Parts: sequence; structure tokens; C-alpha cells
Amino acid sequence: MSSNRSTESGKRRRFRRMLVDRSIDVVLLTFSLLMLLPLVFLVSNGFKTPQEMLAWPPTVIPANPTIDNFAAVLTQTPLLRWILNSILFAVMSTIAILATSSIAGYILAKFRYRSLNIIFALVLATAIVPFEVYMIPLYFQAQSLGILNSIWALLLGYLVMSFGIFLIRQNVIHSIPDELLEAARIDGAGELWIFFRIVLPLLRGALGALGVLAFFQAWTAFAWPMIVATNREAYTIEVGLALFQTGFTVDLGRLSAASALVLVPSITLFVILRRNFVQGVASTGLKE
Amino acid sequence: MATVEIRNVAKSYGPTDIIRDINVQVPDGAFVVLVGPSGCGKSTLLRMIAGLEDIDKGEISIGGRVINDVEPKHRDIAMVFQNYALYPHMTIAENMGFSLRLAKQSKAEIDQRVGEAARILGLTDYLQRFPKQLSGGQRQRVAMGRAIVRQPQVFLFDEPLSNLDAKLRVQMRGELKDMHARLKTTTIYVTHDQIEAMTMADLIVVMRDGVVEQTGAPLELYDHPANMFVGSFIGSPAMNFLTGTVRHDGGQQTFETASGFRLPVDAAVGALDGLTATLGIRPEHLQLAQTGQGLGGKIVTIEPTGSETFIVVQLGGDRISALLRQRLMASIGDEIWLMPQAGTTHLFDSATTRRLG
Ligand SMILES: Nc1ncnc2c1ncn2[C@@H]1O[C@H](COP(=O)(O)OP(=O)(O)O)[C@@H](O)[C@H]1O
Ligand SMILES: [Mg+2]
Repeated sequence: MSSNRSTESGKRRRFRRMLVDRSIDVVLLTFSLLMLLPLVFLVSNGFKTPQEMLAWPPTVIPANPTIDNFAAVLTQTPLLRWILNSILFAVMSTIAILATSSIAGYILAKFRYRSLNIIFALVLATAIVPFEVYMIPLYFQAQSLGILNSIWALLLGYLVMSFGIFLIRQNVIHSIPDELLEAARIDGAGELWIFFRIVLPLLRGALGALGVLAFFQAWTAFAWPMIVATNREAYTIEVGLALFQTGFTVDLGRLSAASALVLVPSITLFVILRRNFVQGVASTGLKE
Repeated sequence: MATVEIRNVAKSYGPTDIIRDINVQVPDGAFVVLVGPSGCGKSTLLRMIAGLEDIDKGEISIGGRVINDVEPKHRDIAMVFQNYALYPHMTIAENMGFSLRLAKQSKAEIDQRVGEAARILGLTDYLQRFPKQLSGGQRQRVAMGRAIVRQPQVFLFDEPLSNLDAKLRVQMRGELKDMHARLKTTTIYVTHDQIEAMTMADLIVVMRDGVVEQTGAPLELYDHPANMFVGSFIGSPAMNFLTGTVRHDGGQQTFETASGFRLPVDAAVGALDGLTATLGIRPEHLQLAQTGQGLGGKIVTIEPTGSETFIVVQLGGDRISALLRQRLMASIGDEIWLMPQAGTTHLFDSATTRRLG
């Protein structure tokens, strides 16, 4: 009798738990559809004629699909070149930021000289000053170096990220005890060895997250690429896309087609880095 | 194996003197324990021996070689830290073989030495695991293994058992002693726990506020504490102190406590008549006495443990504790008389706190 009752209540409990699980699935599915919808329209708009673009209600599958927009974008603008510029810029900036942040963050966290406190205060101070404030002086610097319209000019503004230094410093303080480094010194490790074989591996999670941040910061950068790149060949994709909306008209079809093309590298990158991406974001939380 | 000599060593952080003129001779193969209350500078001294802190004044030598300006890795020492300091991203085998790998030993040699240490410490089945997959006691063993494989001249331990629970601590204490008995490597061990010091050491160095209060074998410190600090620090439960005056009555020397009790004092002490002094009596040296003999008062606390009874007695203005090796049919508020065993009391000069005689 009692065992019968307990299986009854067990069944009910399992049913309730399943109900909760399904509801969570439905909510998440709704949200992901809502977030996907603009992307779907973006891609489908790229295949529409100007008339259909303005039709109401909007269609998801174009009635007369056309590749005119794509053809126009690819032939009349150096779109692939812009994408390539962006990728190169984002990758190099990410590498530079990872390098500068890990070195500076580690030194600021673990070495105790009075001068370092001042340097750290300066780093924090630069985080408060908006980039736009020193963008112009930096521009003149790039000009005097003669690197305008090149990848080096783009990089100049994106070599160091004060937030990155701060993030790594906090991570080192939090997750690498002094004793670990001292044990390594006694064991016979040199300072470089310690940095590359002990500090960096232990910062993998934080560096992954910072890498993602740095990459998208560069990928979506606009103002700086806009001012240092003056000829079309040197544009990044952000700047290039902005060209479609200059003046008084917006060529929606072409803009959509170009944007859809830009999605290709982003999505590819995400698929390749999916595991690191998830790990990196997860590791900035409380997980070990 | 080697001797370690610490000569007139001092260190300060800014205006604060942390270590003041310390002298310690560690004999070859000895197990020496630096003990003292937290903050007295034990870790700092150990870290100076390891080369992790600069030596401001004085000299430290290992095996006859002055190592003041020698890099930690060239001092031929191994150190075990309180929090183990294992490399989290390396397996147990990699952790233990790390120093050998840096010393460019052959793979076969590393495997052999790591395997040997793992066998001694019972870690053979865990070699391919990572530190976070081990328990606290196992991690501590790995830290010891990492020290053993280097075959250094000196082992340095900084409170290695503090993060373990009480039972494991007792067990590891035994294992550490066994290890020392087997390897006979000179060992300097830091702890704030006097029981660890008493049970493990060949030689104890008691420190306070950056100075050495006394150096000696465990029982020497217990039987002849050089001053009131050592008397109270070594031994548990702690030594009782009664202030009073030394009296010479004919050929007899007695000690009269502030509350008017009289106790005999060993004539060999030779203290001046009328000297203000402090008498130290260990709780375990007090025995029941007849009414009117020794120290009498009312019981304030009584804690039977089966084999022995711990009591606290109010003597006028003083309180003393006693550990009696018998069951006591008494209760709180009862009057009791206690007498120290002959020759077990310690007399200190109240002004200097130094031992008399
Ligand atoms: N880097 C430092 N700067 C300033 N004071 C320190 C530093 N390291 C330790 N101290 C001080 O030195 C004293 C002794 O420390 P320590 O050797 O760690 O004591 P113990 O190990 O005996 O507990 C403490 O009062 C501590 O505050
Ligand atoms: Mg300490």
C-alpha cells in the first residue's frame, strides 16, 4: 500500500519536473527564434528585388529571388578585401592585446615595486578616458609614422586594452598564489619559463574570454578605422558597410547582401572556436 | 645532507624589525623545529634560508657554504608550503618530476626517481591524476614527494600540516618522522603548534617577536624553560604562574604566594631572601594533598576525561589548573588542596621573567 503510494507520488513528481523542463525549452526556443529572426530577414532581403523589399507583409522566402544585389556588391565594391582587412586587423589586435595584457597584468599582480602602483593607476586612468579623446593625437602620430591606410595604422589604436590588463591582473591575484611561483623558482625555473609554462596555462580561461572580447572589439571598431583609412582599399568591413548608407538614400538590398556576406566569416569563426568561446565565457564566472 | 648555520641574521620591513640577531646551528641530519606564536617571524626566517627573502644582516650557510647571495635554485634545498603549491595544470607525476625536468635529467632517471618517491608515499596509483582530484592528505604527500625526488641537502617545511584535519595531522606527523628516519636529510620545520614541535623535533628553536627565546631538545625545554614565555608556550595545558616572594627560613627556602600559601623551593635555586618571583607549576605536576598542605581553594571547573581529571581551582586572587591522574569524586564549589611534586616547580625572576637556578 505505502510503496504503491510512493510510486504514485514519484510519478507525479517526475511529471512535474518534465513539465518544468519542457517550459524552459519553450522559453529558450522562443528567445533564440526572436534573436535569429533579424538575421533570417537580413539574408532573405539580400535576395529580394527593390519592389519586394518594400512589400507588406514582408516575405521570408523571396518570391523572385535574385542575386543582383550580391553581384553588385561584389563587383562594385572591394567587399572581400574589406573582410580580409577586418579579419587581419581583428586577429592581430587580439594577439597584441593578449600579449600586452598578460605580460602587464602578471607583472602588476606579482611584482612589488612602488613604481608599479603608479603605473597601475595610470593604466586604470586610461580606462576612464574615452578613446575619442586621444584618437586625434594618435592619428597625427600615425600620420607622422607614415602608416595611414595600412593595417599598422589600424593596429596602433588597438594594441593595448586597459580592461584586459585589469582583467588579467585580477585573475593572477585570484588564481595564482605566490607560493606557486616560489615553488617553481626553488625547483629551478627561470622567470620566462615560469611565465610561459605556469602563468599562461593557468590563465587560459581568462585569456580565452579576453581574446573573444578583443576580437569583437576590433571587428566592430568604427571611428578609428574610419579616420585612418582614407582610400577604399584600406577600409575595414564596418567602414565599408557604412558607405551604403551615406547621403540621403539607403540601398537596403545591397546593404543586406553585403551584411549577409559579412556574416559568413563571423559564423565560420564561431563554429571553429565554439568550444573555446563557451569555455572562455564560462571561465570568467565562478567555475574553476 | 648538510649543517645549516644561521649567524646574527636580521631583517626588517621598513622601520619594523621582523628578525633580530638570530643564531641557530642545525646539525647535519637533524630535524629542527622553529616554533613560536603566529607573526613571530618563523616563516620569514625559513624563507630567508630558502632564498625567497633577502638577508639584511648576518650570514646563513648550508654545508659550510655561505648562501646569502645564492639563487634559491642553487641552494640545494626543497621547500614544502602550507598550501602545497602544486602546479594545478600538471599531473602528479609531472609535479613531482618538475625540478628534475628543469635540471635536464633523462626521462628514465626522472621516471625512476618519481616512481620511487611515489612508492614510498603510496601515490603510485595517482601519478596520472591532477592535484584537484586528490584529497588534502594526498596533496600534502605529493608536495613531500616533490621535495624528496630532488634529493636536496636540506628540507624546509612551512606549517605543512595546518590545512589538514586533526586526525590526518597526527597521521602525517608520523609519516614525516618516518620519512626523516629513512632519508636522514637535514630538516627545518616551521610550526606554531608546540605539540608538533615536541613530537617531531630533535631540536626545538622557540621564537618570539623575531628573537630566539631558547634552543634545546624537546624535554630540555619542558624540564628547564629558560624563561616564563618558553614555560608557558611549551606544554599543554599551559603552565600555571603564581607571583610571590622567596623566603629563607633557617636552612629552608620557601615561596610565599601573593595569596599567602607557602611552597618549598629547591635550595639549589639560591634566590635572595625577599626577591619578588614567579613560580611556574605545570598542571600535570600537581597532586592531591592533605587539607592545609600546599595550595587550597575552591573548584571552579571540573572536566573528567576518564583516565584523568582536569580541574581549575580558585586560590584567593589566582586561578590554577591541574591535571590529575585519577578520578575525582568532587564537584564545583568543593574545597581542594594541591601540592606540586617535589622538584618539578620552576622559579622565575618576576622582573626579567628569566629562570632562576
Ligand atoms: N612582505 C612583508 N611586508 C611587511 N611585513 C611583513 C611581510 N611579510 C611578513 N611581514 C610581517 O612580519 C612578521 C612575521 O611574519 P611571518 O614570518 O610570516 O610570521 P610567522 O610565520 O611566524 O607567523 C609579521 O608581523 C608580518 O606581518
Ligand atoms: Mg608563517
